[in-house]
Amino acid sequence: MRQLEADNISVAFAGLKALSEARLSVTPGHVTGLIGPNGAGKTTLVNVLTGFQAPTEGAVKLDGESLVGLAPHQVRRRGVARTFQGGRLFRELPVIDNLEVTGVGLGLSRAAAVAEAQAMLDWVGIAPLADRIAGTLPYTDERRVAIGRALMGRPGYILLDEPAAGMSAPEAAELAALIRRIATELNCGVLLIEHNVGLVLETCDHIVVLDSGAVIEDGPPEQIRASETVRHAYMGTAADSTLPVLEVMQ
Amino acid sequence: MASFPKVKSVALRTISTPLILSAVLVVLALVTVAYGSRPFNQTMIDIFVRVILVTGLYIFVGNSGVLSFGHIGFTCMGAYAAAWLTMPPMMKELSFPGLPDWLKALQLPYGPGAVLAGIFAGVFALIFGRILMRLSGIAASIATFAMLAMINTIYANWESVTSATNSVVGIPIVRTIWPYLIGAIAAVFIAWAHAISRHGLALRAARDEPTAALASGIDIPRVRLVAFTLSGAVVGLGGALMAHSIGVVTPDTFYLGLTFITLSMLVVGGIGTLTGAVMGVVLLSLLIQGLRWLERGVPVGESTFALPGGLQEILLGVVMIVILARRPSGLFAREFVWPARLGARRRNSSAATRNVPAGDA
Ligand SMILES: Nc1ncnc2c1ncn2[C@@H]1O[C@H](COP(=O)(O)OP(=O)(O)O)[C@@H](O)[C@H]1O
Ligand SMILES: [Mg+2]
Repeated sequence: MRQLEADNISVAFAGLKALSEARLSVTPGHVTGLIGPNGAGKTTLVNVLTGFQAPTEGAVKLDGESLVGLAPHQVRRRGVARTFQGGRLFRELPVIDNLEVTGVGLGLSRAAAVAEAQAMLDWVGIAPLADRIAGTLPYTDERRVAIGRALMGRPGYILLDEPAAGMSAPEAAELAALIRRIATELNCGVLLIEHNVGLVLETCDHIVVLDSGAVIEDGPPEQIRASETVRHAYMGTAADSTLPVLEVMQ
Repeated sequence: MASFPKVKSVALRTISTPLILSAVLVVLALVTVAYGSRPFNQTMIDIFVRVILVTGLYIFVGNSGVLSFGHIGFTCMGAYAAAWLTMPPMMKELSFPGLPDWLKALQLPYGPGAVLAGIFAGVFALIFGRILMRLSGIAASIATFAMLAMINTIYANWESVTSATNSVVGIPIVRTIWPYLIGAIAAVFIAWAHAISRHGLALRAARDEPTAALASGIDIPRVRLVAFTLSGAVVGLGGALMAHSIGVVTPDTFYLGLTFITLSMLVVGGIGTLTGAVMGVVLLSLLIQGLRWLERGVPVGESTFALPGGLQEILLGVVMIVILARRPSGLFAREFVWPARLGARRRNSSAATRNVPAGDA
């Protein structure tokens, strides 16, 4: 079966266990949500899946084949793309060049990369931004550019680390629509990390809840909505940002 | 969405930079030939040689953001290779008795000699780079410095093929300005072609955001290595031409002094732009020349006005510090370009058609 799979991943940072036996899988054409309080290990899991962090234990498998030991650029070339919390655009380059970078990183000529970047900007809906210097964009546009950059070369999987953070409700809704299109139109497997649980419940086909490095719940939105464990986990670490989330859930 | 016109536009959008810079160099050469005295001719040759060196340095340092203190080592290699290739066999027997016989018997014209010398330096840049390019930041810079010291030590001690610290004399001297102009223009176009190539783009991305570059599939050590090799070849070519411009070399001709002056010119001009590399050399060299001239004394009416000796270096230092304090990214943080009519057309042409991007990974 085609899937990107985190199989019993554990990661320890100098004694601190950031992940303990975390399991998760992403399948083409579906959006998987990954939620959990700050510090739960969500970004660490994405880092493991994309070769930025070696797992202490466990395996990452792409369509059954292990990715452990590959460098990040090699993982990307096998079709596992990601974005970062906070964008990390190439700030001094124009938007179109930001996308072209992935094209040439995947081995395209500059010629082919330009053509694909143009098409991708159109598809994401940000063609008018092509010549803007990336460092001058407002963050809502920044996130779209980051997504467009990650989608270059049509990866099989894309992992989005809090792409909607700080967005207003209408902006987030627009982004959620784009994320659905990535799954349905490009048949890409999407992993969505997002704090707004309401948005995740609406957008995702499947949701994984992480708390203190461990998966505490895993299932379709209805199951997550009804889960006592999830509610309890969010109560237990009730930060300001997670309280309104509970209201959405009830 | 045909790809061909688009690509043309990447080159078209940026070709004005090397063209304008070449025009500046051509004008300087023509002025020199038309009005220049013999010493002025030599000054201009020195400027063109430095344009080659600093442009070569820019290819790696400017695009990668990794400061290199080692490139003048490749200049040294280029200069000695030019000596090996172009000196009369009899003089080689005296200076380099340990060279293989076929090389001692060979005597190439300076042009092909300089090109081969550049390739020779490039090969060594490739070898050193394979190790160095895995390092980052300060570690990489210090390692390039160690490489410079190593090359200098080898050339200063390998008596039979480098004449050790003795001056190597007998390198054919080339006094006409044209080969230096051609070399400088070639360096400018090589740097431009690299900058707009996929390797140059990837390298600048890795400079801005290395983490995101990895996530874009960029093999950072590899794109650095490409630039390092090309850059080593260009400064090697510069070394060869430098040898022909002065006729005498020692290992210390290519050591800390030249490293300092070339890096200063790059930084003052603007470390991140080709324009900065070329104009940094031109402006700082003219300033140095002007100060030297003042130091020697200028007739003012009956008397002569002269700067006290040594003031030249001090003034140069002051000027550099002032420039860097006011413009930390150098005098030319942006490239010279034609007025941007093309850019405006591009923006309008991007239609908002929603087609699924073509092509699989
Ligand atoms: N490179 C690192 N070194 C040490 N600790 C880290 C590192 N990265 C993350 N951590 C720790 O691991 C835990 C999980 O972090 P993270 O994955 O960023 O959480 P999340 O993305 O869910 O907010 C946190 O306690 C964090 O401090
Ligand atoms: Mg995080």
